[in-house]
Amino acid sequence: MIFLTVGTQFPFDRLVKAVDDLAGEGLLAEEVFAQVGDSLYQPRNFQAVSSLDKKAFDGYFRSASAVISHAGMGTITMALDHGKSLLVMPRRKKYQEVVNDHQVGLADRFAVLGHLLMARDETELADKVRQLGSFVPKPRQADPEAVSRRIGQFLGQLGVPQTSA
Amino acid sequence: MGKQQKLRICLAASSGGHLSQLRKIARAWSGRPVFWVTTVDIVNRSLGDDSRVYAVGECNREHLLRLVSVLVRCIYIVLTERPDVVISTGAAHGCLMCVLGRLAGAKVVWLDSITNVDRISLSGRLTRPFADLFLVQWPDLVERYPGVEYVGAVI
Repeated sequence: MIFLTVGTQFPFDRLVKAVDDLAGEGLLAEEVFAQVGDSLYQPRNFQAVSSLDKKAFDGYFRSASAVISHAGMGTITMALDHGKSLLVMPRRKKYQEVVNDHQVGLADRFAVLGHLLMARDETELADKVRQLGSFVPKPRQADPEAVSRRIGQFLGQLGVPQTSA
Repeated sequence: MGKQQKLRICLAASSGGHLSQLRKIARAWSGRPVFWVTTVDIVNRSLGDDSRVYAVGECNREHLLRLVSVLVRCIYIVLTERPDVVISTGAAHGCLMCVLGRLAGAKVVWLDSITNVDRISLSGRLTRPFADLFLVQWPDLVERYPGVEYVGAVI
């Protein structure tokens, strides 16, 4: 099963329709299940629900062979944590899908680093979907401890009596 | 040591990605009293422990009227909680808490979101001139913005 999720805050009809078109053309190796949020487009080729509770969402996410989604930080983080193959298409401001184009820059950088596949728009989706089956995401080497230590050090210094003021 | 224990820390982050990045660095303030200022109520139960959580509502540049209501709530929080430090990952209301905290004498720590790859967020750019510690999550941003630090990414 391929799990399609677009977040629940804003519609993302462009991605739901594009995946539906690919499914209709028989370009997807597996069946799709989708969480489409407020999207208005009704897919004809797979089952879709508007929202899932966290437990159900986690269940679909874990059992999926691959995930297709918007380039939201929540989904990307979850895919990296689970080593899940992820294909993202960024939401764009010009289609009123998001308030700014931050999803493009992040998806682009993570794609270059091998953490995920990115389709810039619908025209790139078919090609990327073909790569998704054999795509192995590179694990991400984050260092939240280093950031915690730096801020902890800063807080520690605040206790020292100030010479002025 | 007395002052260390009494440091009042405000943690400000919008629900969603900003909040999850701030929670990744919880060790930074471990054992210290904190309170959270976030945007939407539904996620707050998961913040755990006994720390107070304020949900001030969503705001961004598209909804200026809503910004006024968020502003009023943030002013109330700063006046009643009197934080010594504000730590924020953004976005708009995080910037607001940093400004208000600063006006009330607090130190400001900003961690710019991982999503800001090529340039610092708008909220971050507004906060940078008065931030006491400004961290980014991509090393090349350090060359572009003097005074900012990179020590690693949280995601």
